[in-house]
Amino acid sequence: MSGRLSRGGLVPYLFVLPGLAVLGVWLVFPLVSALQMSLHDWDIVPGSKSPFVGLDHYAQLVSDPLLLSTLANTVAYVIVTVAGQLALGLAAALGLESVRRGRVLLRTLYFVPVVTSWVVAALMFRYLFNSSSAGMVNHLLVSVLGIVGRPVPWLNEAGTAFIAIFALGIWKGVGFAMVLFIAALQAIPEELYDAAAIDGASRRRAIRSVTLPLLAPTIVMTAVMLTIGAFQVFIPVALITGGGPVHRTEVILTYLYDVAFRQLDFGYAGAISFALAGLVFAISQIQLRFMRQSALAG
Amino acid sequence: MSQLRSAPGATWIILALIVAACGSSGQTGQPTPSSNSTASPNPTSKPSPAETVTINFWHNYNEDSPENEVLVNKLIPQFEDTHPGIKVVPLTIPYPDFRRKLITSISGGNAPDVIRIDATWVPEFADMGALVALDQEMSEFAALKATVYPGPLGSNLWKDHYYGLPLDTNTKVWIYNDSLYSAAGISSAPATIGDLDGLCANLKKANPDSYMLGLESTQGWVMLPWIWSSGGEITDEAITTASGYLNGPKTVGAYETLLRLYDQGCIAPLILGDGVDAFSGIGQGLYASLDNGPWTYPIVAGAHPELKLTAALFPAGAAGSIDIVGGQDVNVLTQSAHKAEALEFVRFLVGSDFQLAMGGVGVIPVRQDLDVSSLVASQPYMSVFFDQLKTARARLAHPGWSDMDRILTDAGQLILRHEQSPQAALDDAATKINEILGD
Repeated sequence: MSGRLSRGGLVPYLFVLPGLAVLGVWLVFPLVSALQMSLHDWDIVPGSKSPFVGLDHYAQLVSDPLLLSTLANTVAYVIVTVAGQLALGLAAALGLESVRRGRVLLRTLYFVPVVTSWVVAALMFRYLFNSSSAGMVNHLLVSVLGIVGRPVPWLNEAGTAFIAIFALGIWKGVGFAMVLFIAALQAIPEELYDAAAIDGASRRRAIRSVTLPLLAPTIVMTAVMLTIGAFQVFIPVALITGGGPVHRTEVILTYLYDVAFRQLDFGYAGAISFALAGLVFAISQIQLRFMRQSALAG
Repeated sequence: MSQLRSAPGATWIILALIVAACGSSGQTGQPTPSSNSTASPNPTSKPSPAETVTINFWHNYNEDSPENEVLVNKLIPQFEDTHPGIKVVPLTIPYPDFRRKLITSISGGNAPDVIRIDATWVPEFADMGALVALDQEMSEFAALKATVYPGPLGSNLWKDHYYGLPLDTNTKVWIYNDSLYSAAGISSAPATIGDLDGLCANLKKANPDSYMLGLESTQGWVMLPWIWSSGGEITDEAITTASGYLNGPKTVGAYETLLRLYDQGCIAPLILGDGVDAFSGIGQGLYASLDNGPWTYPIVAGAHPELKLTAALFPAGAAGSIDIVGGQDVNVLTQSAHKAEALEFVRFLVGSDFQLAMGGVGVIPVRQDLDVSSLVASQPYMSVFFDQLKTARARLAHPGWSDMDRILTDAGQLILRHEQSPQAALDDAATKINEILGD
């Protein structure tokens, strides 16, 4: 340690200090505080006693049926929206790369949902999927296309409500995946496509044998980031269904919010947040390991 | 990734958890001054004009509402004129954020001095020790208690003490679209719950696409008038058990009535949580009636000024016509460093000047001793609300009400979706509520 200090002096550490301070205040302190809460029957009023309960709240996690159903809903959201964003983002990137005119405009349009407020987007989707004939989707299905005879009760049934929630999650994130894929596509040397063409590869074959293998690290990295984000889904569910009907669209964060701020059970909420963090960390590690193996194999 | 970068939910929740943790970690038990005042440390001493005490007053009047206009520009200056040395700083907090912000401020030890909060929250905050028992701090409390409507007052009672006073109140009544009723040959509102089947049949005959009634959810706010008017209850009077009450024959009967009306297409699908909202629905002629509050009139008139709405008492059941009390209470926080001044402000808020001034902008006063004729003269429909208030009841004054309400909401959903019979759903709900009461 002294050798390292003597080589670089204190200056590098001083440069790192502000960042460490920010991390300490906004990451380490909250983590420690949440851990402390999770081990107590936390009373929010200053001066009140918060009895130490050890790992009771963590034991409660596995026997809480509502938590398990919210976990299943969250996993479903992650799978559907991450897959949807990756597939559509990749399709949009490949499509836009072959567009000659208006490319910048189209990229901007695809990216607009990414910078749109989650609240605004969620309220818009709530309106679009309103269960009455006044909802835009129902109007389209019933009055314009005539596909169904009566309005679909989109948000009154869990199955159909998830369609609205998933659709929002995908719509909001396609642009972001697209931008990453476009950047990665532009890094692929043109010579590889030329060589593939000389070998007689069709456009489809070139995508399969050149583009996708070289995009693999970007795809995995994007999947990791999207997965972490998707596990934190909150606003779409909170504003479109509120977790209803009968908690059937509840996800982990809406449940966590309910436990903390309606039930005022901050101790259990702390345990849920730690469990969620652990789950996301584990999944991210698996995805990253997969990426490294893919890179090594490539 | 966009979710990751904006971290919309997690950041918000975790930051709020942190604030809660920060506040509680230094649990000294000492109240923290809630204002930047230069007041004397003795909270009971009268400040001299030179020592201005600041009272922070958190409320949820809409920022742009006439109520807030009157509060900020007329009533608070009036209070400050008559109470030199006390400055009131009002802060508008939108209703959806209010509870979270209040919890955060209490846990951070910097709660406001006076709050105007939803009446159903009082027992919960009283139970956590955040509110001052006004009946122990105000010598004139017994006299004040006698002047206000008993229903709104009841929301402040927890464990034999009153932790607040009602500030404004409201209730719901049966509001119907005159032209739809007339088109169906109906000349008056239904007098009893038993009249509803016939009313619905006539309305459907005249207008098959409309619904007799637009109810907004299966929450207690919507369901309790049906339960109480039918003679049912959620728990016993002492709030010790739900068994035999929530799942008793009268409450089950109320839900069976609702289920039958829903199945017949008399109650709109809105009751399950989504669809055309109540006010648009009655405005567009989709719903012939609502059980709703006085705010219905200005909201509907804004979009449909030509529509004539008539108010009537909620249809009576075996126990009479009993609707539900809503409204807001005023409370003093235990963390206030200026309780004497805060209590003085509370006296002003429940005083006749404040109540009448707010009544002038459509807020229903809580005092029975006031002459509200001018309010009724300007808004004739208000007389029905005043009549309904005489029998209206408050929701259970219990810290676990929020959880109980969630259980009721779920039970109603399961019943209307035919996933459980009324008896089975209410048996389950009673068991769950008993667990809350046993805590």
